[in-house]
Amino acid sequence: MFTTNPFIPLTDFLSPLFLQVYIVLMILAVIAGTAFDLYHKRSAQFFMQDRKHSRAAATRKLSGADMASIAARTLAHDVATFGEFCNRNRRISHVLMFYGFVLYLVTTVVMAFAYPADPGTPAAWPLLWNLGAVMVLIGGYWFFFFLRVNVVHDGQPPWRLVRADLFIVSLLASVTFALLFELVAMAENPTATRIFFGLYLLFTTLLFVSVPWSKFAHMFYKPVMAFERRVQQEDGSSDLPAAARRHQL
Amino acid sequence: MPTFVYMGRCDGCGECVNICPSDIMHIDPVYRRAFNIEPNFCWECYSCVKACPQHAIDVRGYADFNPLGHSVRVHRDTGLATVFWKIRYRDGRMKEFQFPIRTTPWGSIQSPADYAPPDMSTLGSPLLAHEPEALKVDQLPRLPTGATP
Amino acid sequence: MSLRSSRKIKFVDADILVIGGGFGGCGAAYESRYWGRDLKIVVAEKAHIDRSGAVAHGLSAINCYMGMQWNENQPEDFVRYARGDLMGLVREDLIYDIARHVDATVHKFEEWGLPIMKNPETGRYLREGKWQIMIHGESYKPIVAEAAKKSADVINRIMVTHLLMDGTRPNRVAGAVGFSVRDGTFYVFRAKAVINAAGGASHVFRPRSVGEGMGRTWYAPWSSASAYALLQEAGAKMIQMENRIVLARFKDGYGPVGAWFLLLKTFVTNAYGERFEASWMDEIKSMVGKYADVTPLPTCLRNHALLQEVKAGKGPILMHTQEALNTKEKEDIGWEDFLDMTIGQAVVWASQNIDPKEMPSELITSEPYVMGSHATCSGAWASGPEDCAPADYQWGYNRMTTVEGLFGAGDTIGGSAHKFSSGSFTEGRIAGKAAVKYVRDHAGNPPRVDEQQVERLRHTIFQPLETFEIGSNEIVAGSVAPGYISPLHGLQRLEKIMDEYVGGVSMFYVTSEPLLNRGLELLHMLKEDMNHVGADSLHQLQRAWELHHRVLTAEAVTRHTLFRQETRWPGYYYRADHPKLDDADWHAFTASRYDAKTGEWQMSKLPVHHIIS
Repeated sequence: MFTTNPFIPLTDFLSPLFLQVYIVLMILAVIAGTAFDLYHKRSAQFFMQDRKHSRAAATRKLSGADMASIAARTLAHDVATFGEFCNRNRRISHVLMFYGFVLYLVTTVVMAFAYPADPGTPAAWPLLWNLGAVMVLIGGYWFFFFLRVNVVHDGQPPWRLVRADLFIVSLLASVTFALLFELVAMAENPTATRIFFGLYLLFTTLLFVSVPWSKFAHMFYKPVMAFERRVQQEDGSSDLPAAARRHQL
Repeated sequence: MPTFVYMGRCDGCGECVNICPSDIMHIDPVYRRAFNIEPNFCWECYSCVKACPQHAIDVRGYADFNPLGHSVRVHRDTGLATVFWKIRYRDGRMKEFQFPIRTTPWGSIQSPADYAPPDMSTLGSPLLAHEPEALKVDQLPRLPTGATP
Repeated sequence: MSLRSSRKIKFVDADILVIGGGFGGCGAAYESRYWGRDLKIVVAEKAHIDRSGAVAHGLSAINCYMGMQWNENQPEDFVRYARGDLMGLVREDLIYDIARHVDATVHKFEEWGLPIMKNPETGRYLREGKWQIMIHGESYKPIVAEAAKKSADVINRIMVTHLLMDGTRPNRVAGAVGFSVRDGTFYVFRAKAVINAAGGASHVFRPRSVGEGMGRTWYAPWSSASAYALLQEAGAKMIQMENRIVLARFKDGYGPVGAWFLLLKTFVTNAYGERFEASWMDEIKSMVGKYADVTPLPTCLRNHALLQEVKAGKGPILMHTQEALNTKEKEDIGWEDFLDMTIGQAVVWASQNIDPKEMPSELITSEPYVMGSHATCSGAWASGPEDCAPADYQWGYNRMTTVEGLFGAGDTIGGSAHKFSSGSFTEGRIAGKAAVKYVRDHAGNPPRVDEQQVERLRHTIFQPLETFEIGSNEIVAGSVAPGYISPLHGLQRLEKIMDEYVGGVSMFYVTSEPLLNRGLELLHMLKEDMNHVGADSLHQLQRAWELHHRVLTAEAVTRHTLFRQETRWPGYYYRADHPKLDDADWHAFTASRYDAKTGEWQMSKLPVHHIIS
């Protein structure tokens, strides 16, 4: 049953074009939101200034090959496997959430654009869509209830929501309602399908539109910062003792 | 010198929250990362700075009397049992130091309960655990009896 | 953080409760486990034991080590030294007791992994001075904490606010109450013996730096006087609370000077390059007589000389570090001295472009502190060692206060000066062993907490949260409300009162009877306002109770200062109306007993017995 395109039942009340337009709008929202965040908060300007200072303070000149090697290590260690996380559980939960989300997003886009309302959608796509969703939910609920640092270390009760929870709550709600509308559609309950799809739309929109106010954009900043940190250690501009370098693989 | 946390380095692990003797490192509600909530109760003991696995915490000397542009940074390496310091002066001079921090493996201290139980009839004597051997003299010093005020 | 009445309560039953996981508490945990293998021993620590207490940064020297194995010193000599430094008024039995044991403590520290510097020629510990040895002490606290964690159940992030008394017998302790700073759980500790090893008092007098810089106190800002207030509320007799300490240290950063003076042999001059201490000796002798003939010159008298020079307009006072750092090795020692224990001074150097190899640094006298483990000895009146304490100095259990079952170690104990880190740990050990004996002796007759007291305290402790939640409805926003004050407001008021009336830095440490009486009036009103402290978080609730402890201690300091009608320690403080030392009337300890129910104080004198020649 999880092998059928979950968006097909929606065509009862929505044309496939709706979903395609919606996806494009959400992509634009993320781009606009990130750009707004960078520009309005002037974080991009800060970053460029900071980078200029540290290059000026460099004691070693790094070659193209050095930079490429740093980029590769950043990608392999910090980005691909979230090596930045020193806590193993947090690292695992982020791997699940990130790759789950990417899988779920990519399969959504593929099914919306390549197989709109197509009963012949190859089973792999819906399967991967569900797998991605489940990965997000496992990593996400685990994180939300058991791993959030303000709960675990700062003594806050799990149900107390702060602005930093905007991303995780809207992500979990979006994916949860996606699975729910899939399930009730499989059970052939049109009313419930409309309700859950409505909620799915609400939280998905919230997720993508709230980029300037949530932690979403950190997905883009973190790899850039990780690369910059390694460069500063290698070119001598870092204020940290050289021995700190040993700490970073 | 109060501490501050670098946005680009903190991943919100909470080690600083755990260790701060002043209870002033807490999690910011917007970014879920650490920050110093009460710099005027920061002793700059560097406990959080040393505890941070990402070297995300640094110190900017108290504004009351420290001009800007300085840096005193540390890497505490429990594996090497060494602490490394790098100091940058406001005028750009640099100094680096390293000092040993421990001569035995972490966790290796023998529990007092693992020693042979003491003779409980000596509970009233002045001798403390491992004495007189640990004193490295033959006997615990005592004042001559009949010491009077 | 729910502020409502659905507050969790946790009961912890223990044979021995140790309050505070600093050096005194760690020593108490270790020794009580050694003698009490089957006992339940609990350490309640306000922060995290790995870095809590005054040794959070680390230390660069151990200031109390005899070296008996090499015949370097004997305990009696240490007593003479401490007695001289405190102008004759110390508990010689307590100091002797620590001095004879402390070498064993230091040897265990080395065995546990503390790197102690060695003299390359003799192979012995490298001496900083007669009583001090140099260590690589960055991890001094984590190492010692490890020993404590292996000895007892350590509960971190618990602020202990009150002791509990036995409901069936008067003047006997039965445990303590407090709360978790993380989740607000109300903790009730029921114990057969309690060892108070909490911190002494910083932030009782206004510090010299008042912005962010108020954090850079000489003594830890988290030493919130719980060593004293917990005992005072329980009616324990306290001594020497007037004996506050003032330190001459590197300016602003308060970096240590010991290694510079003793090991690196630097010297101090006024701004004009003149050495000045000797020029004040005549004046000093006229104030304190024979007490000025002691070598080394007592700490307070050295302060006095520096202060007089500053008042004469000859400052800034300078330590000529540049004369001493002529080798890389010495430069390393000079920097390590700060980096192991007062990193803030290194920050001052880096920010003000001071290279100690090239230029001198300013010294200044600090604001006053009240504590018991340094060159001062405020604290509880405690029973001494059975084999050498005079009869009126002991009542059955070493380091037990005048409250039965309530022991102390470290800052808590009065009269036992100059113990520092190793001595505080040692005093903890002494108290730990005695507490085990007490528990065993009273096995058939354990204390029982007064249930009504517990219930009253459950409301009292969380009251500041209620005060804020309800009271803040009156205003739109901000920190100004007519109905309550924040803990910081209360602290700054306290510090101003103490500074201006009880001899803080703005008065060059001078006070008098009229000033002290006015100070008491203002303190009285502050005490009343303490019922209106509003805390907007558990963190601020911790600050509120730290303030309570400081206010009660400050009152003791003020009353003791009023009671002692002489100037015993010029350079620590001066009674302008009794400017000279007066051995005829005041060669005695000042003592107080506070009655929490009536708010009354009973002051008295206790004899100073000299058991060492």
